[in-house]
Amino acid sequence: MNLQQIRQYMPWIALVVLVALVGIANPGFLRPANLLGLAGDIVPLFIMALGLTFAIYIGGIDLSVQSMANMITVVASVYLASLGGWVAVLCVGAGFALGMLSGFVTTRLFVPSFISTLAVGGICFSIAQWLSGNRALNMDAEQRNAVFGWMIGRTGIIPNELFIAGALLAICLFIERRTTLGRAFKAVGAGELAARASGINVARYKILAFAISGALAAIAGLMFSVKLSGGAPTIANGFLLPAIVAVLVGGTPLTGGVGGVLNTMIGTLIVAVIRASMLYFGIEATQQQMLFGLVLIVAIATTIDRSKLRTVK
Amino acid sequence: MGGILSRENIIRWAALLVLLALIALFTALNPAFLSQRNLARIAIAAAPAMMVALGVTFVIVMGSIDLSMEGAVSLAAVLFCLLFVKLGGALLPWGWLAVPVIVLFGAFYGMLTGLVHVRLKIPSFMASLAMGFVGTGAAVMITGGEIVRIGDSTFRMLLTWRILGYPLMVYVAIACIFVALFIQKHTVLGRNFYAIGGGEELAHASGVNVRAVRIAGFALAGAFYAIGAIFQVAKLGQAEAATGANFMFVSITSVVVGGVALWGGVGGVWNAVVGVLIVNVIANGMVVIGLPNFLQDGVLGVLVILAVVLATDRRAVAFVK
Amino acid sequence: MYELRAVEKKFPGVHALKSVDFKIARGEIVGLVGENGAGKSTLMKVIYGAYQPDGGQILIDGKAVRFANPRQAMEKGIGMVFQEQSLIPNLTVMENIFLGYQEQFTRLGVIDWKAMAAAARKQLAKVKLDIDPRMVTSALSFAQRQLVELAKVLTLEERVEGDLVILLDEPTSVLNKEEVALLFKLVRELTSRASFIFVSHRMDEVMDLSDRIYVMKDGQVMDVLARGQAEAPEIQRKMVGRDIDREYYREQKQVPYDADKVLLELSGVGISGRIEDISLKLHAGEVLCLVGTEGSGREAILRTIFGMVQPAEGEVRIDGAVQPRLTPGSAVARGVGYVPRERKIEGIVSGMNVYENMTLSQLGRYSSWGVLAVGREKALARDWIAKLKIKAHSEYADCGNLSGGNQQKVVLAKWRSGGSRIVLLDHPTRGLDIGAKEDVYDMIREMSADGVGVVLVADTLEEAIGLSHTIVVLKDGAIQHVFDCRPGAKPSLFDLLHHMI
Repeated sequence: MNLQQIRQYMPWIALVVLVALVGIANPGFLRPANLLGLAGDIVPLFIMALGLTFAIYIGGIDLSVQSMANMITVVASVYLASLGGWVAVLCVGAGFALGMLSGFVTTRLFVPSFISTLAVGGICFSIAQWLSGNRALNMDAEQRNAVFGWMIGRTGIIPNELFIAGALLAICLFIERRTTLGRAFKAVGAGELAARASGINVARYKILAFAISGALAAIAGLMFSVKLSGGAPTIANGFLLPAIVAVLVGGTPLTGGVGGVLNTMIGTLIVAVIRASMLYFGIEATQQQMLFGLVLIVAIATTIDRSKLRTVK
Repeated sequence: MGGILSRENIIRWAALLVLLALIALFTALNPAFLSQRNLARIAIAAAPAMMVALGVTFVIVMGSIDLSMEGAVSLAAVLFCLLFVKLGGALLPWGWLAVPVIVLFGAFYGMLTGLVHVRLKIPSFMASLAMGFVGTGAAVMITGGEIVRIGDSTFRMLLTWRILGYPLMVYVAIACIFVALFIQKHTVLGRNFYAIGGGEELAHASGVNVRAVRIAGFALAGAFYAIGAIFQVAKLGQAEAATGANFMFVSITSVVVGGVALWGGVGGVWNAVVGVLIVNVIANGMVVIGLPNFLQDGVLGVLVILAVVLATDRRAVAFVK
Repeated sequence: MYELRAVEKKFPGVHALKSVDFKIARGEIVGLVGENGAGKSTLMKVIYGAYQPDGGQILIDGKAVRFANPRQAMEKGIGMVFQEQSLIPNLTVMENIFLGYQEQFTRLGVIDWKAMAAAARKQLAKVKLDIDPRMVTSALSFAQRQLVELAKVLTLEERVEGDLVILLDEPTSVLNKEEVALLFKLVRELTSRASFIFVSHRMDEVMDLSDRIYVMKDGQVMDVLARGQAEAPEIQRKMVGRDIDREYYREQKQVPYDADKVLLELSGVGISGRIEDISLKLHAGEVLCLVGTEGSGREAILRTIFGMVQPAEGEVRIDGAVQPRLTPGSAVARGVGYVPRERKIEGIVSGMNVYENMTLSQLGRYSSWGVLAVGREKALARDWIAKLKIKAHSEYADCGNLSGGNQQKVVLAKWRSGGSRIVLLDHPTRGLDIGAKEDVYDMIREMSADGVGVVLVADTLEEAIGLSHTIVVLKDGAIQHVFDCRPGAKPSLFDLLHHMI
């Protein structure tokens, strides 16, 4: 096995080692109920990271996911009363459309994706503030339980969120591995120019990747608002960093083309274990963000494919 | 080339025209906009953002980007307050020492960002974003989520002491603009930013130490962020981990709207100044004419896309990530 | 005074310089000619310090030197005027002239603009350019920029003790006749200050300016000719070398094409600044070769046919139907395939395996409702791996790890398996070893036997003559001449060169 092959399995090894370490330090950590609870808590982040994976997989970045989720918590809280279950469609549709907008601005107007998505994030933030009147909103508890209660209950000891996460992961994995869409994403990420010279409509697929990212960020926001039974324009702040970390630690490099949604699942679990371990090792929550920032730098530095960058700007 | 309507001229003057048009528009809608009181309000709001925008301008001129300003400002503001308090909590006899120390710290922090970017060969937007997270994280860690206050009235004179109706801070900011202009126009470092932005490989082939200049650019940006942080503390009288929030979006927007090209080499301090004024005039004007100010981010989002689109020479762009 | 002795340079798979000897005397102008890939640019890079030789010696005034980078070479008086405009457009003229050497005008990091402007004026006077050194470079004409570059290199005069050697890489490519004459006059005058190495595609200019001419081919110096010693045709013959081997290019397999069936027709196609009024027809089974120097418009024509660039005027017809807005996608749908020159960047997607690469252009055919039929994809790949003898451990092999020849086979298989009837080949044999080249020639013959029309931009003129039914000679974006290339009645190298240059 050479270094290249080992690198593929690094995220898995890291996850197992981390779990073992924490497990040794605190055997209670390994109780199934504890692990499942931990996994259930991280589902909204996972769904957001899942979407972000597509944007990074094609060699872009989506910095609007956090603002998107913020906006959706507000949209869900405001329109649940009038739309009932249809509010989910509105949320996902809005996420998809705004994601398309990012993609459109990136591909057709030649704006780098980190700027276009930052700008679309600004638009989301405005919408959220406007809809909410800049206040924290609450959902009607009864209606929430009636419409979205199934999202947050438990089946046996398994949190229902995990089924949703599993279903979305399965769909994304299917898209990535078994559809022309996924193949085109891979081609665009691994060799955009070659994809173009094979007659692939690169711009269309890029727009779709951003749209998927937006839609999944919206689902994450919806689930988050259901969990908290409300929404506010800044309620999901703090999601962006761990979401990017999850994707990159999982092994989808910033340069795209490799990795994928399964890697993001591993990455998210690593994030979850690191978070949990901080509790066990007595590291204060206030140090978490700094730690993740450093982890992010290490993750990018070790995964990025420098042969794809002519000059590093 | 040449002619009054050449690309270069349009890019140079378009932002200024937009600024004047906006001022005219808001004044027409509400004459109070142009009152000295309101102008002072705009100036105070713009001063910290101006410093941050000046810093990031140098980085963008090099063709890189710096997204670390939120973390940098938060961390610098928090450290400034703590140090100021430690030094006696008053500007005299020793509190003033905190100012140069924190500006140096800002430069050091920027240098770290530059090192991560250059040495680890990570694209600058991601390296700086990560360093921004680290900065905010460090600020949270240091404060434990608490607010640190400064009550020294001498220090707060930056805000309270008014000359011709404008607080001292505004004059200091203007002085900083001239310093930045001087660096841009008359120093080897400033000119090397333009050389790298205009043609990195060519500059390298001519013997410019591109890596060192890059790192120096980020360090310079960091120093300006620290000045912005000190202004922000003077304005609010306190610092916390969220002090730097929203500076990233606003400053990048300002610089780009002012006409500094994202791919480097075009625009400069002057454009950043105009850009910051445009953004602050819009923010203030919307309030003055009675629109909710939360539309601001959306308007800025649209504006930044428009600005990039208008400034992009399509023929020169092969493909964009 | 400057000398290379038995200099060697190897790259993976390529022996770029083979024991090259090179000499230049004080005040001499030396020409350097050769076809693309003959080793000219490698030699230049060795001279100005961008490459370090793997063997041999570099001597200045008899002393051996070694340059780790261009800057060290500059410090020994060797300067390069680049073919691509190497001035930074957003800086002023004087800043460009002194870029990297501003220290002489600075105190504590602050620049004394007056001193710099005065010094720049002095440099500009050397090249007789009367412009304000404070001008922004982007406002200059191409000819003026060329002179500023020369002035920049001439600053070495003050910095370096000893003699200067200045390389001029295609300095005339963007200049008109009068500007060329002025430049040459200037260079001749400057021989009192420096020696020049002059590289150009334009044979007449090289012969006009140079005291001696080095002719390169396949990484070797074929001959050194003094002024007046040889005529252009003779030099050209030395550049291209051996006679054409008919077997090698599979000429015995060349069969006449179907003149009744026009697959592709360009009429009056033009793109401003690149090609003008291009009209040609491609028939079923025809190999049509575009011949011309770099920048003569060959690539632009290929990219127009593939829909990657839109023609400003004229029209493209495929199977008789006008294609008003061709995109790569619609071109592929109409049966066009494109084998790009940059195989690793545009040809294959490295990181994807053999079957993924082969079906990339035809995903619709290997899927239903967007779901891929991976089994059929793999079968296709196994089929073509066997058919073309592609050396890959299986259909799962990453194409990025295949050898150049096998990568090219994968690209060709992509289009052939997709049933492309018009195949555009841009330097299909570039960088391949002989065996792989022969495989590509075989495939080209097979394609034309199957009735596929091939538009070829060949790596060498011999290849073009050997393979084609028709040769279209281009110069400066326009068609100069069309040759019919039936076996036995093929044009000679000289016939082509005559129209190319």
